Amino acid sequence: MRKLAWAYKAITCYLIVAAFTLMSCRDGEEPVAVSLDKRQEITFRAQIPAITYAYLPQYSHTESFQRHNRLVEYLAEETGLALRQVFPDTFDNHISMFGQGKIDISFSNPFVYVKLANRFGARAMTRIVERDGRAEFRGQIIARRDNTEIQSIEDCQGKSWVAVDPSSAGGYLFPLGHFVDHGFSLDDFQEVVFAGGRQENVILGVYAGLHDIGSIREGSLRVVEDKIDVHQIEVIDSSRWYPGWVYAHSPRLPAEVTERIRDAMLKLDYENNPRHRSILDAAQFIGFVPSDDQDFAPIRELSDKVGLDLD
Amino acid sequence: MTNYPLRFLQSLRFRTKITLGVTLMLVFCGLGIGLILSAMSSSALLEEGKKRGMALTSGLAFRLVEPILAMDFLQMKNLIDNVDNQYDDIVYVFLTDSEANILSHTFSGGFPTDLRQVNTDGVQAQPVLLTTERGLIYDFRAIISLEGKELGAVRLGLSRSSIDANIHRQRLTSLLSTLGVVGLGIGLALWFARTVTFRLNRLRESVEEIVRGNLDVHAGFSLEKYCWQIMECDRRECPAYGDVQRRCWYLAGTLCPNCSDGKYPFKMESCRNCPVYRHNSGDEIQDLAEAFDTMAVTIKRHIEELTEREKTIARQQGLLKTIMNVTPDFITLQDKDLTYTFAGKAFCDYFNLEEDEVVGKSDYHIFSEEQARANAEEAAQILATGDPLIREIAFKRAGEQRWFHVVKVPVYDQDDSIMGLLLTARDITMLKKFQEQLIQSQKMEDLGRLAGGVAHEINTPLGIILGYTQLLMDDIEDEELSEGLQIIEKQTKVCRKIVADLLGFSRHSQAVSESVDINESIRQVVKLVEHSFYMNRIGIVYQPDENIPSLSGDEERLRQVWLNLLNNAADAIEQDGIIYVQSRLLADEGRLLVSVADTGKGISADHLDKIFDPFFTTKQVGKGTGLGLSVSFGIIKDHGGTISVLSPPPRQYLAEDMLQADHSGPGTVFIVELPLRQNGAEPEEKSSRPHLH
Repeated sequence: MRKLAWAYKAITCYLIVAAFTLMSCRDGEEPVAVSLDKRQEITFRAQIPAITYAYLPQYSHTESFQRHNRLVEYLAEETGLALRQVFPDTFDNHISMFGQGKIDISFSNPFVYVKLANRFGARAMTRIVERDGRAEFRGQIIARRDNTEIQSIEDCQGKSWVAVDPSSAGGYLFPLGHFVDHGFSLDDFQEVVFAGGRQENVILGVYAGLHDIGSIREGSLRVVEDKIDVHQIEVIDSSRWYPGWVYAHSPRLPAEVTERIRDAMLKLDYENNPRHRSILDAAQFIGFVPSDDQDFAPIRELSDKVGLDLD
Repeated sequence: MTNYPLRFLQSLRFRTKITLGVTLMLVFCGLGIGLILSAMSSSALLEEGKKRGMALTSGLAFRLVEPILAMDFLQMKNLIDNVDNQYDDIVYVFLTDSEANILSHTFSGGFPTDLRQVNTDGVQAQPVLLTTERGLIYDFRAIISLEGKELGAVRLGLSRSSIDANIHRQRLTSLLSTLGVVGLGIGLALWFARTVTFRLNRLRESVEEIVRGNLDVHAGFSLEKYCWQIMECDRRECPAYGDVQRRCWYLAGTLCPNCSDGKYPFKMESCRNCPVYRHNSGDEIQDLAEAFDTMAVTIKRHIEELTEREKTIARQQGLLKTIMNVTPDFITLQDKDLTYTFAGKAFCDYFNLEEDEVVGKSDYHIFSEEQARANAEEAAQILATGDPLIREIAFKRAGEQRWFHVVKVPVYDQDDSIMGLLLTARDITMLKKFQEQLIQSQKMEDLGRLAGGVAHEINTPLGIILGYTQLLMDDIEDEELSEGLQIIEKQTKVCRKIVADLLGFSRHSQAVSESVDINESIRQVVKLVEHSFYMNRIGIVYQPDENIPSLSGDEERLRQVWLNLLNNAADAIEQDGIIYVQSRLLADEGRLLVSVADTGKGISADHLDKIFDPFFTTKQVGKGTGLGLSVSFGIIKDHGGTISVLSPPPRQYLAEDMLQADHSGPGTVFIVELPLRQNGAEPEEKSSRPHLH
């Protein structure tokens, strides 16, 4: 029995050693000594002055950045000017920032341009050429393809209409002008709601069946191709062509600067220059044409038609 | 000292060995595996913590893209505060722009300046372990970028202590689980060891029982179902039927259709597919126990058979010894050294020795040296030649000489070599006497035949002598001559009588067969002699049995027998006595009995066996010829009967007044027995129911 006790003592010792080993295992990382108690108040350093460039926020900031970052870098490089893209949150914010001088170069739809021109003296520099080769664009009225009640623009009466924004050209004003031309007024719809300035939201609202019809800028369906089955969406009708998106500059910007910027824009060669092509592909248009304020007379006409106050 | 562990292991009980072995194995393996698994899981937990921190940081970096683009400080602050507040183990979160300016942070009361000095390199492996006043902290750094352009970076501090706490908790759980499993394993090992050793102990106890002589052991366990229950068999003649101690596959001659002929283990091939074997076969220990039981039963049966054979042998030995001891012959057995290995009781008794005093001894211890030497020489010759010795020896002991017929034969063993000497000796003293008597009888027969021949030759001259004598007597008137002639005539008649007796003895007279009334023939003879006996005051008492039937015989010769016996009785009495004649029918034995008893002087014992010899007489010379009784013996013998003599006579042959009267001699009785039926003749029945007087 004494021998047996000896054996059990040995096992117990082994158990204790093993237990300590188990509890004390640690990997071999060497920590860096840092004091969290040595504090200092942080004051934000003011940014370097630069010409500010803003894209009317019809998409997310990320999308806006991804589309225009390269173009901004090209313009800065080409003109030798300091350019910085800024990101207004809404259309109104864009307009107010332009008014406040926080935006020097504005890339906006024609209605916003007319507002900026009327309110803050913005001057059109160039218009973009869309992928379809046109410098004009139009609005589209969409519905779910399986919604048999809506086959033509006349079927839109009494329906729920979702538009991009009250100041959206392709997403609201062009379709509204088109509806007016067909004898509709806003009261003829069950409701008119706005999707916070996002073309995607309009398409997704109709796709989800929340609204009967929606109004978008032509080409917006391509944006959501990777999100939804766009074949479920049917284009009921389209508005007339209007001048497209326009680059305008602040009246405070020197003419020489605006010239250099416009020249740089017009210099972009989509067809022959691969670098320019990649810049323009990111921005999702293929070139620029020169423009001035007179190109936007149809817009002003439309605003009168629909009672839009662009002043 | 080097063998101490080995000696220690050998000294342990088997149960302890199993328990200790399994315990050691479980402890070393369990803790070894526990250590490895614990290290792996600790590493995994640490990695998981790092991945979680990295995921949080990366997610935050992704969500901070837009606020940074918009320079929306409120949203930046909300986002990092949200993450900071969501998890307790996050110590800090802060955000820098592409120029490493702090855009937002979760510290209150200033920003720790040291943090701006560490983990600033974009290529540094993440996270970086920091040791701070709040313990170890993993510092994670994720770059906020868009379209390949770095917009800024987010840094997140994750407390290492919470990860360590999880690791410690896991290790504790591992330790407790391992100890639990080891404990459970030890418990199972104890149970297993107990189960195994229980059965081994049972086997050992069975062995001890067998060593103690008890073969009625049962080391195996009872079965749930036996073969006849599994096979639903009712063949009671099968050796396996009802045998609860042995499994059927150990038994030869089982009657299942699937069973092959032969004994274990040759029948096992067919047994392996049998449902009984599949149901009842166990592990090696059970097999061992069952084989042991089978062995015990088999040994028990063998022992019982051997015991029975031993009893039979002992019985036969006893029987043989009884025969050896009861037989009057001397029987001894000697080995090659002539030492006695067996001596029969007759031998021992004759020499007044016990068997123990003979066995192991030689002739020199039993016989005289001279006799022993003679025996040794005989024995040496027999052992050398192998020829048996047969001879008759006279052995004189205590003044009495006895004859023995001795046979000494060599005894051969299985190798046909002589292993000893068997002596048998039969006491033939009586036989020798009978041989002498036979020789005497033959002598007497030869003498009788000679005497008969002489008598026949003499008879004719005697008739001539008597005839001429009687003629002369008629012619001669001289008285003196006439007296002389009368003497010649008388003596001639005596001679003729002697010759007639001799002829009768030698059976030269012709026997006549006729119906004889025994009682009447006796009565006639009694009447004839009654008067002359009376002259000597000798009375005759005749008591006939009237139930005696007539029988076939020669009446004249039988009367001669009665006359001889009466004359013999009268001669024995001489004067004053009684002769008691009695006839009796012994119907059950088919005989009649005639006794003639007298009150005479009797016959001495020495003379009794010679009384019927011819010419034997105790009478004075001239009074008897010594032929009367021998002639009577011959006549009775011719009738198929016997004649015997007893002196003094037993009581049943005497009359009442003979018992009461005082007589001079002890007396003699002659008893004649005759068969009622002789040579196929039917006796004449006088009474259907004979009775004795």
